[in-house]
Amino acid sequence: MKRKFSLSLKLTFIVVTVSAIIILSLTYVNISNQKSFFEKNYSVRAIALAKSFDASIAFHDEFNDTQKLQNYIKNVSVSNPELLQISINVPDEVDVDSLKVYVSSDEDLIGNPSDEYNYESYILTIQTNDDTTYYSITDIEGSHLITVITPVNLSGEIAGTYEMTFSMDKDYKVFDVQMRNLIAISVFSLFILIFSFLFLLRRFVVKPIFVFRNAARLIGEGNLDTEINIASRDELGELAVAFDKMAKDLKKSRAKIERYNKTLERLLDQKDEFIGQLGHDLKNPLTPLVGLLPIIRDQEKDPKIKEHLDIIVHNVEYMRELIFKTLQLARLRSENTKFDFEDLNLKDGVDGVLESQQLYLREHMMKVENKIHKDVIVWADKLRLAELFNNLITNAVKYAPETGGTITINAKKEKNMVTVSIKDTGIGMASEQLEQIFDEFYKADKSTHEMDSSGLGLSICKRIVEKHGGRIWVESPGPGKGSTFYFTLKLVDTK
Amino acid sequence: MVKTVFMVDDEPSVRYTVKQGLEALDPEFNVVPVESGEKCFEMLESNLVPDIILLDIMMPGMNGWEIQRRLKEKLEWRSIPIVFLTATGDHTSRKIGRMISEDYIEKPFKISELKQRIDKILQT
Repeated sequence: MKRKFSLSLKLTFIVVTVSAIIILSLTYVNISNQKSFFEKNYSVRAIALAKSFDASIAFHDEFNDTQKLQNYIKNVSVSNPELLQISINVPDEVDVDSLKVYVSSDEDLIGNPSDEYNYESYILTIQTNDDTTYYSITDIEGSHLITVITPVNLSGEIAGTYEMTFSMDKDYKVFDVQMRNLIAISVFSLFILIFSFLFLLRRFVVKPIFVFRNAARLIGEGNLDTEINIASRDELGELAVAFDKMAKDLKKSRAKIERYNKTLERLLDQKDEFIGQLGHDLKNPLTPLVGLLPIIRDQEKDPKIKEHLDIIVHNVEYMRELIFKTLQLARLRSENTKFDFEDLNLKDGVDGVLESQQLYLREHMMKVENKIHKDVIVWADKLRLAELFNNLITNAVKYAPETGGTITINAKKEKNMVTVSIKDTGIGMASEQLEQIFDEFYKADKSTHEMDSSGLGLSICKRIVEKHGGRIWVESPGPGKGSTFYFTLKLVDTK
Repeated sequence: MVKTVFMVDDEPSVRYTVKQGLEALDPEFNVVPVESGEKCFEMLESNLVPDIILLDIMMPGMNGWEIQRRLKEKLEWRSIPIVFLTATGDHTSRKIGRMISEDYIEKPFKISELKQRIDKILQT
């Protein structure tokens, strides 16, 4: 069985995913904006510083006055605590080494150039545009540094670059706190969102759906007075109105069907009663015909009249059989007909039937093999079961070749049922006949058996088997290849 | 040896058929047509005791079941074999009928079969 996911679980999953994506992207955008704001801010500061440097070192000579420059830079560093390092890079003709100035809280480092940096490379990236600044951000041992490169502008000429490195730690500290708060707020709002969503979902969707489900169950159980009281004006409200209407319509059609059923039952009862009465009333007038006609025929000397009487006797016999079978079928259909079930030995039952039919079978040169095991005990009505076998055997004989044939009767146990098979070597049948054969008045071979068969024998068999709680069917490999009738009976546990 | 048979049936054609049929098949049969239960007992009371009684079930007045019951009540009639000869063919009637009588034959029947069955009963 597949695992069930409730509707609320699915919707919650979707909502959580979507809100998480939205909050995360908003946070990301916020961080990026904040960062680029910082960077712009430092660029602006660097340009401002560069301009003040430009002004203070306006004279070419002052490049070489290290002491003056260092003092100046010291002042600058005091008013700009975030400035960690400043390098002034000028073309080759200027004495580069003397111009490497470091601003540091460590006094020793001030004015002592380091060889780590390759100033040349920065110079090469300089462009002529005044406002162009370059920056890179590096994280060294947990502190965030930004390095801004801006041109040295002396009397309108680009003379080199300033390379200023600021610490962003202080800003980041503020920024981190801000971020933490932001994330906390986000998570909090996410939870609020989920819970309110779940609450609303339960209140407005899941609960009404349960109401629908219970109502549908009740209706399924036949309680058509079920009503759904959802007063909301949304789609569920509309659905509730439609649902109530459906229940009402169902109730109406059920009442109609019940009315029809009652009429039908009454008509069926009337029909059974009518058939019963008719059959009964037909039997008495038929008695002289059946009783006296054979005697008259046997005594008749005139061969022509004898032939006429033969035909009449045959027809009267047919009429008799038709009345018998019709009545039998009507009775089997009747609710009042009770069966007398008992434990029966199937093999003995069949042997009894075969014994009573001995003469008839010999007349038609039929050989019957009863292969049923002597241990099979079934739950059946003895007389009805005999009637069933009688009908099936008569049927097999009727459709056997004139030169005779073989009938094989067998039974196979399956769980608590037994499947009885009656196999013949007769005319067989086409696949489209297999279903119809149990219909009332159906005859397998209309041309030659018009007056021999009522066409009710197998319908009676079907009724008897169904009243025993079993089913009957027939299989045939095709016309001319014989057929096998099967039916099931309840097995009595003999253990 | 004459075999006297009471044919109790309200239907004249049935009485006629059985009388004519049986007597034609075997001249030893003497079929007495009786049109009702009341008439049947009238005849029995007048000391006309048959070898066998053929009994219809559904009759106006006294029906076959009642006739059977009353026949079994009186010692000198108790031994008369009874064969139900009826159009009533339902399972229960047939079963009960077979239990309380010598035979139960459904209408319409072949006279030859009826004769056979009567002979069998009378032989034993």
